[in-house]
Amino acid sequence: MNNIALEQPPEAGVDESGHLKRWAVLAAVGLGIVAALVPHITQRQDIINRLFLIFLYITLGQSWNILAGFAGQINLGHAAFFGIGALVTRTLWLNGMAFPFAFVLGGLTSMGFALLIGIPTFRLRGAYFAIGTLALAEVLRITVSNTNPLISTLPMDSITTYDLSARYYLALGLACATMLSTYLLLRSRLSLGIMALREDEDAAQATGVRTVQHKLLALAISSFFAGLAGATFAFYQVSYYPQAPFQPEWTFDALLVSFIGGLGTLIGPLLGAVFFITVREQLSLVVQAHEVVFGVLFIVIVLALPGGLVNIWARLTKLFAALRKRNKAIHIQAP
Amino acid sequence: MTLNTILQTLIFGVFVGSIYGIVAVGLGLVFGVMGILNVAHGDLLMVGGYVGFWLVTLTGIDPFLSLIIVGPLMFLMGIALNRLLYRRIIRFEGETKLKNSLLISFGLVLILQQVATLLWTGDERTIQTANAGKSLMLGGLVFPYTRLANLGIGLLIIVLLHLFLHRTYFGKALRATAEDWEAAILAGIDIQRVYMVAFSLGTALAGIAGTLVAVNYGLGPTIGLSWTLKALIVVVLAGTGSVTGAFPAGILLGVIEAISALAIDPAYREVVGLVLFMLILLLRPQGLFGKAERGLA
Amino acid sequence: MPELLEVHDISVSYADLQTLWDISLEIKKGELVVLVGPNGAGKTTLLRSIAGLDRPSTGSILFDGEPIHTIPAHRIVERGIILVPEGRRLFKSMTVLENLEIGAYNQRARPEKNTTLQGIFEMFPILAERQQQTAGMLSGGQQQMLAVGRALMGLPRLLLLDEPSLGLAPLVVESIFATLQKINSAGVSVMVVEQNVHVVLELANRAYIMEQGRIVGQGTGVELLTDQNVREAYLGYLPETPQP
Repeated sequence: MNNIALEQPPEAGVDESGHLKRWAVLAAVGLGIVAALVPHITQRQDIINRLFLIFLYITLGQSWNILAGFAGQINLGHAAFFGIGALVTRTLWLNGMAFPFAFVLGGLTSMGFALLIGIPTFRLRGAYFAIGTLALAEVLRITVSNTNPLISTLPMDSITTYDLSARYYLALGLACATMLSTYLLLRSRLSLGIMALREDEDAAQATGVRTVQHKLLALAISSFFAGLAGATFAFYQVSYYPQAPFQPEWTFDALLVSFIGGLGTLIGPLLGAVFFITVREQLSLVVQAHEVVFGVLFIVIVLALPGGLVNIWARLTKLFAALRKRNKAIHIQAP
Repeated sequence: MTLNTILQTLIFGVFVGSIYGIVAVGLGLVFGVMGILNVAHGDLLMVGGYVGFWLVTLTGIDPFLSLIIVGPLMFLMGIALNRLLYRRIIRFEGETKLKNSLLISFGLVLILQQVATLLWTGDERTIQTANAGKSLMLGGLVFPYTRLANLGIGLLIIVLLHLFLHRTYFGKALRATAEDWEAAILAGIDIQRVYMVAFSLGTALAGIAGTLVAVNYGLGPTIGLSWTLKALIVVVLAGTGSVTGAFPAGILLGVIEAISALAIDPAYREVVGLVLFMLILLLRPQGLFGKAERGLA
Repeated sequence: MPELLEVHDISVSYADLQTLWDISLEIKKGELVVLVGPNGAGKTTLLRSIAGLDRPSTGSILFDGEPIHTIPAHRIVERGIILVPEGRRLFKSMTVLENLEIGAYNQRARPEKNTTLQGIFEMFPILAERQQQTAGMLSGGQQQMLAVGRALMGLPRLLLLDEPSLGLAPLVVESIFATLQKINSAGVSVMVVEQNVHVVLELANRAYIMEQGRIVGQGTGVELLTDQNVREAYLGYLPETPQP
């Protein structure tokens, strides 16, 4: 069975029992510390903004990755969860609720809608879940643009007291939380059930894995973090059209980030987010059609390069190992 | 709310529903024969609409005559897309093939949307026809000619398709492949060619629907996804094995949407389709006309 | 002078799992050859490889001296090898007539379609009676007849059958094999995979025995019928049981 796009590439930095290798833990902590210090080191808004986007996209991508890369369910309406989080949080917050509560409620509402789609569709085979989520995203986008057509802008005093570093730390914290949750999920026994699904749903069902329940769990976690990412966006963005977070580009970016980095891996979305944000900034200076470029890149990856950046790393390591072996053999043969 | 208003709304529901039907038939054909779900189907509709628009704008040809050119042109585009993209995933097993087709199509959606915006700007376009304002008046009800054409063309397409699938040898090969592609190979059928024709036919149907949309409702680079969605809901409503059943199911969706627009706030019009989709999945997943087994009806 | 079908040392794998190991066999023109062996021996895989549905990773398959293991399966049908697969795989949503008609789809058989159809109706009158019914409504035996009929519509020179008697009543099985004999006498070479070893060995010119993906024995039909090991393993005879 040729499972091109959904193959499991070898994981960098993780050993056989799923524990992070020592150097990976050090690297993660090191990066975290550096990231936390950035707003104290520099005043440059563009750097902080760019890092904010990277953190946001790590969450966006990793949340999609949990469902697709680990549970094998393709969500074509991820923007729905992102958008619901944004809509709920923005509305509650601008109407007086303290932001932390609005933030969490955004995530929870997202999860609620996700389960509403997941429960009827997960017991059926085929593309019903993908269609359902796609439908949800589109319907919400159109309905929100009908009911809330006017641009949503922060009130004046919020703008004058706008604290970019608060947004920065929120996004950083969320990205860390998402990565950590994914890591824990991978290591737990639940992950065996979820990943069995990814490989072969029929087999998983036959061996008694509680298929639907596992799918729903992965969906709940995925949508929760996507909702929180949307809430973060609502906190960050001074003004935007309420339908904007529901646009399919957000879904596409989540897919792209996951695939570029390496679907089904822990650090894949991290690498993918860094790559995507960096390249997108550069590309948009040169070419107006950067979306087309990414679209083509995405299709090429799906068709030809399973595993993304992580897999390239693994292939390079294998290549070096093979070359080293060959050198050894040559040395032995020479008299 | 008079009876007249209700009937008039119903009639307009039928008209828009016939376009839903044409789009859904194309999508359902591809899914039934190839087992792939082309989420970019609505964007192919969009491209077809622009092809029709530019044909009419540049040559002054009657929009409904332009369909004779739009269809074959889009058929060729279908051949190219199939060769370039879908042929590479066609050899996978069921779920894998389906999931890969979702991914690739989604990428295609973004590409087509962006290219269309770059080429033709985000402005809304409509195709003007000579018959634009004219209608048939019957019993106090209005039947605009351009809308009647939707229904007429839709019915014509269904009849032709049915004849093709049931009266021609190649059409029967298509149905055989849809039911069991290995058995089809063993009967000597070249299934790659069957796939190519099915996909291109689906694309052509999308393109034809696109020109009708451009005449009746207006065209923009981002309309694709919402038309795909309509088609998906109709396909699920009809049942995935029923190709010709998708047309009446499309009309049904159009009518249901129209009626509910009378009852609820029109801003929530789209929710109706989603609710209907969910209801079908909960109550009758095989759709209204679908059967438990595979096959094209 | 090459035989009709020659299989040379083929190995076949399903998703990294090897199922056939260095299989070699041949079928001479006009023969009725039987393939026996326990479940999972790889008999179906072997037939599918000859028909082109599965590709061998090593070795070659020659039909009339020409290699066929690299050409598309529908072309192999055109050359004259037609498989009646396990479980028949009829087009259940199509009528009996449509199933038969589609059997003649390949370029060689298409011009003769109507003539061949008449012949099939003569051979299987029940199919003529029920030609407008959908295939799914036929009984098991009738479906098997339809499957064989569909294959014959393609004008095969070599007919492959995978477990044609599976799930059928003994009387029906008899008539199936009688039909196979008739087809063979008419000049069509036949290769049958069968569990119902008794009946089929009596008809066979030669037989091969397969176990665990390899060919472990071969001989004429009579030889295998009287071979002690075969009788024990496949015909259910205990070592002391006297001859029937």
